[in-house]
Amino acid sequence: MYLNRIIVKFGGQSGQGINSVGTILTKSLNRAGYYTFSNREYPSLIKGGFANYQIDISNSSINSSSKKTNILCCMSKNSLNQYITDVLPNGVVIYDAQTLELEPQEQEYVKENNIKILNIDSKEVAKQNNAPAIMANAVLAGLVWKILKQKIEILTDEVEEMFKDKNIDMEAEKACLLAGYNTPLYVENLSQSIDTEKLKRTSEKKITMTGNDGVSLGALAGGMRAFFGYPMTPATSIFKFLGESANESKIVVKQAENEITAIQMAIGAMYMGTRAMTATSGGGFDLMSETISCSGISETPLVIVLAQRIGAGTGVPTWTGSGDITAAVKTAHGDFPRCVIQISDAKSAFTLTQKAFNIADKYQLPVIILTEKQIAEGLFSIDSLPPIEKIERGLQQGENRYQITESGISPRWIPSQDEKPYLHTSDEHNEDGHSTENAQEVYEMSKKRDKKMNLLKDEIAEPEYFGSPKAKTVLVGSGNTKNPILDIITNNLSSEDIAYLHYEYIYPTKTEKLTKLAQEGKRIILVENNQTGQLGKLITEESGYQFNEKLLKYDGRPFFIEDILNYLEGKSI
Amino acid sequence: MSIDINMYSTNKQPTWCPGCGNFAIHVSLKKALMELNISPSQAFISFDIGCNGNGADTVNTYAFKGLHGRAIALATGAHIANRKYTVVADIGDGACFHEGIDHLINAIKSNYDMTILIHDNQNFALTTGQATVTTKQGKKMYALPEGKPERDIDINQLILSLQPTFFAKAYSGDPQQLTEIIKKGIEHKGCSVIQISQTCPTYNKECTPQWFNEHIIKLETLSQYNNSSLEDAQKLAKEMAQTGKIYTGIIHQHSNTPTFYDRLESRKDIQSELVDEVQEYDITQLLKYCN
Ligand SMILES: Cc1ncc(C[n+]2csc(CCOP(=O)(O)OP(=O)(O)O)c2C)c(N)n1
Ligand code: SF4
Ligand SMILES: [Mg+2]
Repeated sequence: MYLNRIIVKFGGQSGQGINSVGTILTKSLNRAGYYTFSNREYPSLIKGGFANYQIDISNSSINSSSKKTNILCCMSKNSLNQYITDVLPNGVVIYDAQTLELEPQEQEYVKENNIKILNIDSKEVAKQNNAPAIMANAVLAGLVWKILKQKIEILTDEVEEMFKDKNIDMEAEKACLLAGYNTPLYVENLSQSIDTEKLKRTSEKKITMTGNDGVSLGALAGGMRAFFGYPMTPATSIFKFLGESANESKIVVKQAENEITAIQMAIGAMYMGTRAMTATSGGGFDLMSETISCSGISETPLVIVLAQRIGAGTGVPTWTGSGDITAAVKTAHGDFPRCVIQISDAKSAFTLTQKAFNIADKYQLPVIILTEKQIAEGLFSIDSLPPIEKIERGLQQGENRYQITESGISPRWIPSQDEKPYLHTSDEHNEDGHSTENAQEVYEMSKKRDKKMNLLKDEIAEPEYFGSPKAKTVLVGSGNTKNPILDIITNNLSSEDIAYLHYEYIYPTKTEKLTKLAQEGKRIILVENNQTGQLGKLITEESGYQFNEKLLKYDGRPFFIEDILNYLEGKSI
Repeated sequence: MSIDINMYSTNKQPTWCPGCGNFAIHVSLKKALMELNISPSQAFISFDIGCNGNGADTVNTYAFKGLHGRAIALATGAHIANRKYTVVADIGDGACFHEGIDHLINAIKSNYDMTILIHDNQNFALTTGQATVTTKQGKKMYALPEGKPERDIDINQLILSLQPTFFAKAYSGDPQQLTEIIKKGIEHKGCSVIQISQTCPTYNKECTPQWFNEHIIKLETLSQYNNSSLEDAQKLAKEMAQTGKIYTGIIHQHSNTPTFYDRLESRKDIQSELVDEVQEYDITQLLKYCN
């Protein structure tokens, strides 16, 4: 089976409901016990343009997308032309119209690869079932479900559950699902190559969640009680999750007037002793940088999610990349300690967001959580969430808020009417928090803060090594790079034995493990979803180690499994 | 616990010029807290950057001296985290009407329950006397040898247009009235904006105490002024703009706009504060909100 997975892709325009049909199928597959990874690609506009939704299905946990597909379901001519040559041999193309005109070379491709074509006018089918045109997608969902040879009850049960609180005509919706499922257009040989039987599923239902859901849940589990946001893709759905669940979580969710306000509110709330967070993308993050510097010098805990998209300026707003690592580590003026963490999937989002709060509290500094579009909006399927982290705050009474200590960590206590008041300040200050211009005091306080970095560096984990210790080739990366590479390693997809070194803690940067591997003579390849190898630069800066080999991708697309495999086989990606 | 005024002071001496209005503003703030029985550990002051904020070292309460223009936004976060605290944002005219004007507008709109003290010395003083929106048009300022070219903004009208629940004007040269106004502002449930005309003998030489005495009229001297009427307040603002007079007192106050927090559905009927709620939470029930 191709890459040990079955792949379904929906293509069309923004506004055609591709997202809803993709999500319905993903959740139904997870309900059926399959693992999936689903990714949505869409333009930064509301109607029109290219959009697609791809579901990769497997019997083991997968977290990445492939380039090719078994079933392509197109709702627009454009998307058909775009993706038809990605359809695997013996695959299926569903075209949502009565007739289909293929270009000559497309016809050739179809013939050569024995691709089966099925035309269905889903709007017409919906109409025949007294359903509005908007439910035509359900017809397609039913049909794809049939090709995947799944039980119809699982699909209808899932849809019922998904829409139970929504104002939707369930009867009409179900009628459409059934009409698609039972369409006379279906013939057995459509399913011939789509061998779901080979993908032996477990009976357990999987939890479906995005990376942003993981961040939100992690924040809530870790006692975050206020969220201050401002919309910016791909951070926005954190705001959505927290806002929609606020009546149950009982937290305060506030849409601030801009990103500067959002982060200022967060720092004010953190000073008072609650846990608060903000989330944004590159542009908003730039606006926040002065406050990050203020958090650093005033030693006020702060947690910021930086959800990356590709490009400088407004960039390519709805596409992925990891080009803000340097910004996260270097942004803002002055020397001050900080911590940068990068998540890679829903589970790590959950755990690392909690850890971010513990680090911010204990070390009294800003913590930046990096995520990226592919993780933020990608739908992961998991058996369960990791256990909740114990909250650690490092609170401690003391005489002076900025007392110079051996460790560099000064006593900090929550403002309370029974305790001694203190001043936090963005001015350089002495031990009791008063501004100072005295050379010795300026030097000592700055030195004290810097000491915290040593302690923090001791606490955080070395990058994690995946794969056989004997592997001669070691790929190095962070964030979403982990997903295609681990899918390759765990499914034995590469002819060569490879291993992967994954960075979760980006800054401070640990390099011992890596330099040891290099000394052992391994072939080390830096893999990054950005133009300049930003993680690699940090590692070089820290250790002097120079990467001879780099696989960099910066076209707004994630690494597909094939990209990595092709590279390893010496082909162009 | 008995409270006395010295409790609100640190051992630091202020660094302001002789005759600076900041002295009286901070003393009035301390007095207001004392008279309201709010101990140093029960108050949070968000200081801005400027001559005004240089007083932060001398005030003994919980406090944060943050960034230029951001005192209001930071105060908002602190207020939301713990409403048991009396929250004051202490800010200059430059910071409030230039760098951070958005925060003022939104704080009034959202009606956070806190008090904003604007030290209006009609210039950026700490950066040595540049023009602000309250600097009179034509006045010679730093780097403006021909005088400030742009029109003045009518700050009174701007604030009133936002339908504030509490808007007062005061003068640093009348600390008694100022103290009373700050007390009323703190007691008011909602966003209290107090614009304080402040002497700055160094960079605003024209506006001497005598000048202020000639221009200031206490509202209480008006026989029939109804400060709960927004229309009356707007008429007053118009008169101030036409005549150059400054009315001091509570220009407008009303109580039928709920505060931001009181409107939060998620916090209805909850007695605790966000600061009391930091603990591990079981999120199983929230999984349904995924994606
Ligand atoms: C982001 C930023 N921009 C500029 C400054 C420089 N700065 C410090 S104080 C100040 C002016 C303050 O004026 P105002 O708020 O009226 O306070 P005053 O000094 O008059 O009391 C400026 C521009 C700064 N500290 N930060
Ligand atoms: S410059 Fe003006 S505001 Fe600043 S301390 Fe001197 S008098 Fe006060
Ligand atoms: Mg000023």
